[in-house]
Amino acid sequence: MTGFLLRRLGGAVFVLLSLSVFLYLVFYVAPGNVAQIACGPRCSPAQVAQVHEQLRLGDPLWLQYAHFVQGIFAGRDYSSGVGVLHCNAPCLGVSYQSDQQVTQLILNKLPVTGSLVIGAFALWLLLGVGTGVLSVWRRGRPTERVLTWLTLAGTATPVFVIGLLLIIVFCSTLQWLPFPTYVPFGENPEQWAWNLLLAWVSLAAIESAKYARLTRSSMLETLAEDHVRTFRAYGVSERALVGRHALRGAVAPVIALSALDFGSMFGGAVLTESLFGLPGLGRELVEAVKVVDLPVVVGMVLVTGFFVVLANAVADLLYAVADRRVVLS
Amino acid sequence: MPRTVISRRVAVVAASVALATAATACAGPQGDNAASASGAGGKAGAPQKGGTLQILNRQPQTDFDPARLYTSGGGNVPSLVFRTLTTRNRENGAAGTKVVPDLATDLGKPSKDATVWTYTLKDGLKYEDGTAITSADIKYGIERSFAAELSGGAPYLRDWLIGGADYQGPYKDKKGLDSIEVPDAKTIVFHLNKPEGEFPYLATQTQTTPVPKAKDTGAKYEEHPVSSGPYKVVKNENDGEKLLLERNPHWDAKTDEERKAYPDKIEVNSGLDPAVINQRLSASAGTDAAAVTTDNNLGPAELAKVAGDKKLADRVGTGHFGYTNYLAFNPKVKPFDDPKVRQAIAYAVDRSSVINAAGGSSLALPATTNLPPQKSFGYVKYDHFPAGESGNAAKAKELLKEAGHEKGLTITLTHSNAKDRETSPEIATALQDALKKAGITLELKGLEENDYNDTIHSVKKQPGFFLAHWGADWPSGGPFLAPLFDGRQIVKDGANFNYAQFDDASVNKEIDEINKLTDLDAAAARWGALDKKIGEQALTVPLFHPVYKRLYGKDVKNIVISDWTGVLDVSQVAVK
Amino acid sequence: MSEALLAQEVGTAPAAVPASGARQFWRRLRAQRSAVVAASVVAFLVLVALAAPLLTALEGQDPNTFHPSLVDSAAGGVPLGSFGGISAEHWLGVEPQTGRDLFARIVYGARVSLGVAVFATLLQVFLGVVIGLAAGLGNRAVDQVLSRITDVNVAMPLMVIALALLAVVPPEFPRPVLIALVVGLINWAGTSKIVRAQTLALKSLDYVSAARLSGWGKWKIAHREMLPSLAAPVITYAALLVPQNITVEAALSFLGVGIKPPTPSWGQMLTDADVWYQAAPSYLLIPAALLFVTVLALTVLGEGVRTALDPRSQSRLGGVRRGLLSRRKGGAQ
Repeated sequence: MTGFLLRRLGGAVFVLLSLSVFLYLVFYVAPGNVAQIACGPRCSPAQVAQVHEQLRLGDPLWLQYAHFVQGIFAGRDYSSGVGVLHCNAPCLGVSYQSDQQVTQLILNKLPVTGSLVIGAFALWLLLGVGTGVLSVWRRGRPTERVLTWLTLAGTATPVFVIGLLLIIVFCSTLQWLPFPTYVPFGENPEQWAWNLLLAWVSLAAIESAKYARLTRSSMLETLAEDHVRTFRAYGVSERALVGRHALRGAVAPVIALSALDFGSMFGGAVLTESLFGLPGLGRELVEAVKVVDLPVVVGMVLVTGFFVVLANAVADLLYAVADRRVVLS
Repeated sequence: MPRTVISRRVAVVAASVALATAATACAGPQGDNAASASGAGGKAGAPQKGGTLQILNRQPQTDFDPARLYTSGGGNVPSLVFRTLTTRNRENGAAGTKVVPDLATDLGKPSKDATVWTYTLKDGLKYEDGTAITSADIKYGIERSFAAELSGGAPYLRDWLIGGADYQGPYKDKKGLDSIEVPDAKTIVFHLNKPEGEFPYLATQTQTTPVPKAKDTGAKYEEHPVSSGPYKVVKNENDGEKLLLERNPHWDAKTDEERKAYPDKIEVNSGLDPAVINQRLSASAGTDAAAVTTDNNLGPAELAKVAGDKKLADRVGTGHFGYTNYLAFNPKVKPFDDPKVRQAIAYAVDRSSVINAAGGSSLALPATTNLPPQKSFGYVKYDHFPAGESGNAAKAKELLKEAGHEKGLTITLTHSNAKDRETSPEIATALQDALKKAGITLELKGLEENDYNDTIHSVKKQPGFFLAHWGADWPSGGPFLAPLFDGRQIVKDGANFNYAQFDDASVNKEIDEINKLTDLDAAAARWGALDKKIGEQALTVPLFHPVYKRLYGKDVKNIVISDWTGVLDVSQVAVK
Repeated sequence: MSEALLAQEVGTAPAAVPASGARQFWRRLRAQRSAVVAASVVAFLVLVALAAPLLTALEGQDPNTFHPSLVDSAAGGVPLGSFGGISAEHWLGVEPQTGRDLFARIVYGARVSLGVAVFATLLQVFLGVVIGLAAGLGNRAVDQVLSRITDVNVAMPLMVIALALLAVVPPEFPRPVLIALVVGLINWAGTSKIVRAQTLALKSLDYVSAARLSGWGKWKIAHREMLPSLAAPVITYAALLVPQNITVEAALSFLGVGIKPPTPSWGQMLTDADVWYQAAPSYLLIPAALLFVTVLALTVLGEGVRTALDPRSQSRLGGVRRGLLSRRKGGAQ
């Protein structure tokens, strides 16, 4: 177990290092005059040069990277003009464009994305597994076909279409729900949920098909196993077989797969975040790429990458717990 | 598939170079028939104090520092918090293009040659903490806009003030800028390096907002800027995404004729999806009944929906901002060095299909002039190369033949991949279709936004033919024509906006002459004439002027849309 | 191992029996009615894409000509006439604002969308199989290195990388090829994970061990024994990747880094169309319905291929059905 954790930790460091180096390299060659963008479109060459110097953009690439790594362990100082501000370790740098500390920026956005992902996660599990179970229970009948079509329709429709239609129907026409805006959980848990509901549904609509298929195939596999046949021969009802034995077979893969999606959703739900006015990580990330805000991009990719790696490890752990035959590697 | 999910909205982020981006940016009707075109109105009944105004926006107010803001006329939301030496007249239509005093008692007393401008502050001006506003604070506010940490504003102070070009701001240079004198607490004197009759217009920008030196926190100041206006910032979350403004008890309406300040509170919610903002405003349910937007237009699809709904159509404010979208030539690149080729393209352009691509005839007006069709710009109508509504292919072919391209011509149009319907692929493809009829094969070169901005603004990389736009920093010909056609404004090693790299001694001289005028009406007439003259060179093909249509909530009263900003003025609206 | 789970997601436990001959495969595939229908739909779509110039010539339109007279300019450019301007000249109506023919844009869009998606998928599959096989068959060090590289690949937010990369490559580079390349290069990790898991599982099976004992080299084993067994899960997964890649192309369009106008693509149409839902519903519904049909057909076909390649799963299903039937009979008595 300790060995597994250590190896995973080493792997995580490797992954995050490679990601940050890669991003530094790509952004180094990418077009976009960072200093001009940060300074403003009508800045004079002299002013741009000043900003260029202030952001230390003239440093060689390796030195910029070294400063970045140094900031993570030792923090950094930077000028606000009137005085010196300190960015405590782990300091992921300061935004080129907004002067915000990246660490703080991430801490602000994380609860938003977290709220979105957690709720959507619960919902897609419920929808996906539920549909999967139903389609096994009703296999070969029209119900199964309708369910399959419904979940596939979710997959085939881009999230912005589903989301906008949901908003038009439920917020505009029927007015059953408030137009979504982010309300922190700590402020008002009920409003938090009502405001996020449609965003959760939109994401779940996209994800659940995969889970329905996974659940279905795992369950069918189990149902074909010898011991289930034996149960059946002993007269155990089909309902009990599907509901108890077969479902148990689907638990491990479903938990593990959802842990993976859970991780990648942290930086990936950009469109959902934009449409539903959620100031989350994904949206901020894409906006930062657009203005060549390297510190923000690297910081956020490291955090979202961390979640992916973490979820990966958790998935493997859970799978090992659920299935003793698996050896952790 | 979470990895496939992203934002198209981000792409919408206004790329507008060089303009009133941050806060206001927008429009006014055609000069002469101005006021009628504005969507002046709102719910009937006399406006009253009280209530909470909701502002639903796309762009967060990331810059809330008066030094960093690039606004036209002081911005919309910023203008609730920041008072300036002068400000825009808060009236509908053309009357709204006038500049009026704000903190100062008048528009400034120019010296005889308009190189020295003296302002006197009104009595009883106070900050939100009750301390008196002094002229030294205004000087300090201007000086800090020169600091690299607080860059972003318009270039005029730097270009006009003596010593402005080399000044690095008060943090590095404690001595300050000698060209701004404050002989006493009420007087401020500006010394310019050349005559500038339009200085009163410049004084509307937020850089002339007083900033108390003791409260200056540099880059952090924007989190809580000290208010001199009717509202103060109570909450500023997520870098300007959510703002709560409440009444500033020390603001005295007697000193401020312009801001009505009816609502008790103003809440700004931004980072919203444009389609969702319009859905909210059209539903106008709950608190959204008292909502407006200061940065989200109705798109063509939404316009189609609104057009079929009388009730909704009544809640649309229409405005015009001094803004022109055009085709830019760089005559240093072949074949655009040949005026005949440029003229042929001007004849071949199909403005009706370009306008459709821009959102249709309700959202864009055909343009044949560089200057927007407003009186304050000195608009003189001209159409040197009449293409009619849908292009004059025959005339274009004839010119091409004269230029030696009888077999047709293949050229490249550079545009951006932004989704702004201005320099975007939609416009480029409409042009491609039209030029085909004149035997011109248009190849499209779409650049990502940053690449596009780098390319068209760099003298070294600038292509021969591209889509561009320009908006006025204030409603006059000066900030329109000078950056685009003044030969001395060609920037070789930085962001250049004189795309044609046009350097004509007579034009330069005329610009200098007009700048000497302190009679703004007389100046306007000369700008118009100058534009007509420059137009003969076919250095640009004006395409269209945008029209702004925006929804507001059911309970919103006292809608005022000036031709200066083109959007409803949040300092005027009432929700009771 | 989460890799094994992904393999399970596409419905394949390590097969004990390597896939048998092509003839058997076709027979088993043809036996499934749904798969045959799905295959016909896919074939039809491909045909439509290939015959785009013919079809539009038949209609008498082309995808890039503007028809300003067919839209109501003052109302934002909404198509004149009912159902988005459907007429004998314009079979599916016209695009709002431009008046370009929707039918022509749809069939030409199919070329781009399907082409990009298929090319990207092939690349993903190729990279995934090579890297997955190498990791599965290689020694511990090779496996570790390749697995970590795969992790890096998983942790890269596709959109961020795509945005950055698309900005770096000169605009002259053909955009559809570029998009396919970027998507293919960034999104191969799923395939490689499946292949690695499958390879590891197969390695321990008797017939592979036997081959190894008889002195076959690694690549010979890979070629002769592994690849045939990998076909089922990989093809199934690929069938899922194609529609996913179509939506990625759509997603890139939102960011303004998708297919460049005037070239039409389904993704771009969907992007532009969503706000038109209320004013011109058919503009949104037509490409959305087509995308749905494509996804459905590919999924069903994928499932059919899996069943045909992996006879065990068929017998498994059969077994279940039999069980169900017998119980019913019992109930009737």
